[in-house]
Amino acid sequence: MSPTIEIVVSPTGQTQVQTKGFTGSKCRQASQFIEQALGQRTSEQLTAEFHQSASQQQSNQQHH
Amino acid sequence: MSHIVEIKTEVRDEVAIGSACQRLKLDPPTRGTVKLFNSEATGVIVSLPGWRYATVFDTRSGEARFDTYNGHWGKQAQLDRFLQAYAVEKAKREAHLKGHTVTEVSLADGSIKLTVTVGGAT
Repeated sequence: MSPTIEIVVSPTGQTQVQTKGFTGSKCRQASQFIEQALGQRTSEQLTAEFHQSASQQQSNQQHH
Repeated sequence: MSHIVEIKTEVRDEVAIGSACQRLKLDPPTRGTVKLFNSEATGVIVSLPGWRYATVFDTRSGEARFDTYNGHWGKQAQLDRFLQAYAVEKAKREAHLKGHTVTEVSLADGSIKLTVTVGGAT
């Protein structure tokens, strides 16, 4: 399945951007262009999956 | 799922302002200076339905200038509706410029959801 960026725009124009299916911190780079284009960040929440895949990446790097 | 970001919309893109007007069937925006009740504002001018004075977007700051006299001369809901349309059109435009595909769905609570499929990225 291709990675996706979900953007939900509320009836008042507030936007929530959520990335799905990216590996580790690549999600941040992937959605940056949309976030910057829309306006000012008011919050960011890293999900459990972000931390899981980030620590997995780190442990993979240590093994190489 | 990896991260969730909340964003306050800033209106900076004149092309997307035009698309938002088209989407809401408003008159196309113009650029210039208009008189509000007791001041003037310069920028991209949009006439919202039922508003006595125009709304003027400063595309450098992303802020809107308007005078509704606490809602007596225009309903906030019209500006909110415009900001939603702008954010949707701006996000679609940026995604298309990157070559991504976008699908749009209206949600029951009045929100609009865009799904951007990122081709080739991992």
